[in-house]
Amino acid sequence: MILYDLFISPLTETYFQKALIGGCIVATVAGVVGCLVVLRRMAFLGDALSHAMIAGVAGGYLVMKMLFGAEAHATGMLLGSLFAAIATVALISFVSRISRVKEDTAIGIMYTGIFALGVVAVSIFRQYIHIDLMHFIMGDILGVADQDLWVSAFVAATVLSILILFFRHFQVATFDPIMAASIGLPVLLIDYLLTTCVSLVVVSAVSMVGVILVVGLLITPAATAYLLSDRLDRMMMLAALFGTTSVIGGLYLCVWLDSAGGGAVMLFCTLQFLVVLAVAPKYGLFARWMRLKKLVPQQTVEDVLTTILRYGKATPVSVIRQYAEESKGMRKVLENMVENNLITAEAEGYSLTEEGNKEASKVLRAHRLWEAYLATIGTPREELHPTAHQLEHITDGNTVEYLDEKLGHPSHDPHGRHMG
Amino acid sequence: MNTDGRHAIEVEHLTVSYHSKPALLDISVKIEKDLLVGVIGPNGAGKSTFIKAILGFVKPDIGNVLINGKNAQKAKGEVAYVPQRGAVDWDFPITVEEVALMGRYQKIPWYTNPKKRDHDAALEALEMVRMQDFANRQIGELSGGQQQRVFMARALAQGSKILLLDEPFAGVDAATERAILDVLERAKQSGKTLVVVHHDLSTAAEYFDQLILIKQRMFAYGPPHTVLNEELLSQVYEGRLRIFSDLLKKEGEKA
Repeated sequence: MILYDLFISPLTETYFQKALIGGCIVATVAGVVGCLVVLRRMAFLGDALSHAMIAGVAGGYLVMKMLFGAEAHATGMLLGSLFAAIATVALISFVSRISRVKEDTAIGIMYTGIFALGVVAVSIFRQYIHIDLMHFIMGDILGVADQDLWVSAFVAATVLSILILFFRHFQVATFDPIMAASIGLPVLLIDYLLTTCVSLVVVSAVSMVGVILVVGLLITPAATAYLLSDRLDRMMMLAALFGTTSVIGGLYLCVWLDSAGGGAVMLFCTLQFLVVLAVAPKYGLFARWMRLKKLVPQQTVEDVLTTILRYGKATPVSVIRQYAEESKGMRKVLENMVENNLITAEAEGYSLTEEGNKEASKVLRAHRLWEAYLATIGTPREELHPTAHQLEHITDGNTVEYLDEKLGHPSHDPHGRHMG
Repeated sequence: MNTDGRHAIEVEHLTVSYHSKPALLDISVKIEKDLLVGVIGPNGAGKSTFIKAILGFVKPDIGNVLINGKNAQKAKGEVAYVPQRGAVDWDFPITVEEVALMGRYQKIPWYTNPKKRDHDAALEALEMVRMQDFANRQIGELSGGQQQRVFMARALAQGSKILLLDEPFAGVDAATERAILDVLERAKQSGKTLVVVHHDLSTAAEYFDQLILIKQRMFAYGPPHTVLNEELLSQVYEGRLRIFSDLLKKEGEKA
């Protein structure tokens, strides 16, 4: 019965059904187009577009009312928003191109400016146009009008069709615009098309989650998917999925906690991101931590190798511990080396594999060359070994060859041992 | 301009500027077919701009670039491009095979998906650079040399006769440099013209058939022993010639 109250009974409410349908449509398309926004580092632009919208909505409302006497004409406001969005983009690129002001600053100036223009316009003309600023800023996913549903369905269908049809174009133009241009793709046109798609999505999403949160709906599901996939098509599908789950999870959250709808959706979306960030198999924090934990210091590995090489036969752990530093992690180091096929474990101790032998000889040669070099520059004899022991771990091949050449390809080290 | 079909790339009086600063000034050069050509010059000499102008990506202020006798702006896809490693987003969600497949995009109509023959061509190109075993890896997981070879494969899959490479040898070790050079040599033998931006003067003579020396202006074009002469290099590299004195001696002995 509790389960029924928690999960099923909200579904019988019309407002919840509409919110669910509208939210899922918007989140799906926002997730997909958001992937390109994330990969092109345009996140700030999404924010700019949503803020600029209010001027467009006010403008569209006013024009339709003055010219045709239509009240809150949806298409008029949609076109107005699109116009404002494109004007913002044009102004941003104009300012950053002709002045020394950089693009991020230009975005900041333009979107706050146009947002302010919208706010002033709405308050001056409050007798003529009835726009609830709070509604605009916070959104109202639980009060979605049928008209908004139709608009978002239309936008989603258009934008998804464009993205699917021209998937490859968007992929190349994002990944390597120079190559895209060299095979004759209209890169500039593709950029404009994408900006238009982003504007459309932003415009249709603002009525649900509001100006402030819309950028989150655009980029958070996409970023979540980014942590999980190595292919753009899969990233887009996952982003759509994560967008949808945010809306579903967020709406239930909002009903249970009796909170603001848009806020609950974005909160759920962000938590989802944080969970994925923690546990993603390849790019997650936990995976990273595991990798770091598995990493063994190269210096210890090399010390173990040379110890075994010098010992000349299967080497017991006690001997290795004597010569190689870092005694507490030694078991892990040895296990790792066996895994990497550098040494093999036998009853009497550890022996080198062929590859291990090669590596060990390389380090030993470096060690002896360093000793020879140190001797020529007048290092005291008792310091030769410890200093060379530090320097032998410089793995860059050129360094060793340089020493060899400089010393005239010596055949023996200062202790009279063969160079190897 | 008359073309006799011997030249792959013809550049005539090419001038390109960015914000009133000339990047390239009056460059004229004719590059014959089937050559491995190095473009050398100090940092900021306009080497990358030169490549981008040949690609038709940068529009010249004056001058012409002809690719196989056709204007570069119209000869789309006849020139394949291998970007500088620093210019690529290595975290991009894309696999090695998908990058190679990009080489086929021009031949795939916009309304269809890549067909089996496109995938085959991409894999074949990967085999040519010995990267077929990495087909499903994300590109960021590869070493520097492997990354370079994947982009070579993309250029080969394009099937263009002319390949432009921007600093393919930057930041790779000596063995990798050999491996890349090997791919370039084989591409040349299969009848391709390669133009390679290169920064290391000490290997330039050994690697290339012809060298182009530029620093905004064109200073020389010809076989390495004529281009790498002290007077020219001291003009282009100004005070920093000291480092090249050994190199010039070596070249002098050879010549």
